[in-house]
Amino acid sequence: MTGLQQILNKEGVLVGEAPDLSDEQFVELLRNMIMIRSLDGRMLKLQRAGRVGFVGTATGLEASLVGAAAPLLPKDWMWSGLREGGAAITRGLPLFEYVAQMYCNSNDSAKGRQMCNHFQHKGSNYPSWSSVIGTQITHGVGAAYASARRGEDVVHSIHFGDGATSSNGFHSGLNLAGVWKAPCVFVCIDNGWAISVSSAQQTAAESYADKAEAYGMPGVTVDGNDVLAVYAEMQTAVERARAGGGPSLVVLKTYRMLGHSSSDDPSKYRDDAEVQSWAERDPLKRYEAFLIERGLIDSSECAAQEKAIVAEIDEVIHEQEAAPPFPLRSLVEDVYSEVPRHLRVQFNQFLEVAERRGDATRGDGAFPL
Amino acid sequence: MIEFKLPDIGEGTAEGEIVKWLVSAGDAVKEHQAIVEVMTDKATVEVPAPADGTITELLVGEGDTVPVGDVIFRLDNGGGAPAQAASPEPAAAPSAPTAPSAPSAPSAPSAPTAVAAQPAPNGGKVLAVPSARRVARELSVDLSTVAGSGRNGVIRRADVEAAATGGAVAQSSHPVVAPTTAQAQRIPFRGVRRKIAEAMVRSSQTAVHFTIVEEVDVTDLVRVRQKAKAIGAEQGIKVTFMPFIMKAVANGLMKFPMLNGHLDEQAEEIVLPGTVNLGIATDTPNGLIVPVISQVESKGLLQLAAELGDLSERTRAGRVRPEELRGSTFSITNAGNIGGTIATPIINFPDIAILGVHRIVKRPGVVDTPEGEVIEVRQYMNFSCSVDHRLADGADAARFVAYLRQILEEPALLSL
Repeated sequence: MTGLQQILNKEGVLVGEAPDLSDEQFVELLRNMIMIRSLDGRMLKLQRAGRVGFVGTATGLEASLVGAAAPLLPKDWMWSGLREGGAAITRGLPLFEYVAQMYCNSNDSAKGRQMCNHFQHKGSNYPSWSSVIGTQITHGVGAAYASARRGEDVVHSIHFGDGATSSNGFHSGLNLAGVWKAPCVFVCIDNGWAISVSSAQQTAAESYADKAEAYGMPGVTVDGNDVLAVYAEMQTAVERARAGGGPSLVVLKTYRMLGHSSSDDPSKYRDDAEVQSWAERDPLKRYEAFLIERGLIDSSECAAQEKAIVAEIDEVIHEQEAAPPFPLRSLVEDVYSEVPRHLRVQFNQFLEVAERRGDATRGDGAFPL
Repeated sequence: MIEFKLPDIGEGTAEGEIVKWLVSAGDAVKEHQAIVEVMTDKATVEVPAPADGTITELLVGEGDTVPVGDVIFRLDNGGGAPAQAASPEPAAAPSAPTAPSAPSAPSAPSAPTAVAAQPAPNGGKVLAVPSARRVARELSVDLSTVAGSGRNGVIRRADVEAAATGGAVAQSSHPVVAPTTAQAQRIPFRGVRRKIAEAMVRSSQTAVHFTIVEEVDVTDLVRVRQKAKAIGAEQGIKVTFMPFIMKAVANGLMKFPMLNGHLDEQAEEIVLPGTVNLGIATDTPNGLIVPVISQVESKGLLQLAAELGDLSERTRAGRVRPEELRGSTFSITNAGNIGGTIATPIINFPDIAILGVHRIVKRPGVVDTPEGEVIEVRQYMNFSCSVDHRLADGADAARFVAYLRQILEEPALLSL
């Protein structure tokens, strides 16, 4: 077992070797982190005003999300735990689709059939989320195995939280991935709390990375608030998987600054002092300090970027808020290749009620029977 | 015009208590600006404005519990269209929203219709929201006798409270002789009051309190303050005794840093921040609030006086920002100037210590003069300092208050 991998200390001072990135790539990492933080802030506001139903933020996890996604190639796949929506944006999920999914409106690529704040994007190989803990681990391993069998040069990055290490899917997935040398990377975002269960209550192991040994794969614990360390360790793991070396377990130690979701009050189970100590390890401030020191940005850059990004987000919000919901017909579509008679009869009856209530929307209309 | 309905802010909450309005009718607000603090069974959250506009009406009082879906305020956003946030680059505006109806505007007549009060359906399981169950336990109300006004007859907290009051009224109308003088009051134990209670219980059950009381001869300080008051008045700053005490406390804490900070239980470390952020216990109409003035050791008396004036005023008016209520390293409470000669203040957890300040009284005192000891009319002020004995010892506290006395008895030493 190695200790905590770190490249930038919490003051943003280089204590390891920075990955070989261009100036633009360095700055892009910051922009992506600001995007995630700004987007979370706005989505939570929308939820509190009743404009969207549910939000799970990634505030505090920005370096883990951005750093882990950046070494992946467009053809690679990302399997999500519960907070990687922002990482998906950095890989090509359009912002308007993200917001549309929050509203479950007619631009939502899940057609309103997912809970809001559960994203997917076909174009960047990003399967839809599952709230069921750990199921994506076995799905991802199966898909990675299939990729290898087909001879595709594709790596699957499989994300999950600390709580998922106690799920059946974790054992099944890591065990078989090890046996099969499946081209995947297991990314455990250890944010300290599985809702109200602390990591100390979750495992007696010193780090979740210790578990890798039992599955015959390397495990590494990384400072998840250090975007450069996350990037470097992920790149090593991705390259290893791509070269046929098999899977790795990368544990990103970070901290969820806000509630598990908009329905959660974390002050009921954790101390302010603990939250405060993590606020001092903020991933954005640290990386900003590094970029300023390196002369890539000046001190006004963050605020300017944030302002521009928030304006962009607000514009998309207003656009998507005005978009109509899905046609009611979508209720009975996409299960059978053609809507069968019994569903058409039911739908027509339902439509009469909806029309009476004024809820029928454009694009609707009775089925011919 | 937007009729803002209390949203379901936590997956299946049935109702919320209006803890505090953060704006008033007539205020212009921006989209996303916090409007009202609402407490549900799950959490207390700030509910933001859905659009830019002017608040025309607040429809629910603080302390009231309302069902999800009730209109709680009206916002004039200048029409039905969704408000456009002030965008710094309007030229880049893409396809403008086309639908004229604001999504947050009322669409369907879905206002919760109070189900006719009827006893619990089919005599089986009583349907009630968690807070109603809790209040029922606290008020000893049998839920099976309460009619629910929520969706599908679910019992809400207000139903339980109504049932409790109803019961009391019914009792007093009994022929049994009841005192007709004072009516017993039942005050809902929630909002700020309950938060204070939680904080006090936590402090008192965690910190091992001991209190040391010191008597300080402030005769010279009274004179100095009189002069400072006049100088402050020229600049429109009200100079009380507090800035002097704050400055003395900051100097004392820099000298005895083990009283300045907090315990990080998780890390098993005593955190001594090296700067003095003073929590100032403030009596407000809503109860005790402790705003914080930071880096007191580096500020002058007039600056402290100005900041204190501003902060107390905003705290009493309920306009203090949440970040101004955090990060104290030590606190001062001056409720003692109302009355009492000593006190045992409860530490503002997780601080290490707190200082209680008492009123100034005139008493005869023994003064050393070249002609020997004489008895004079002197002015005295008592200080009660409570310390968490887990983190500091009696001698630390004694040295600290002795130092306070030394510099407050001779205010010129404040500039040390």
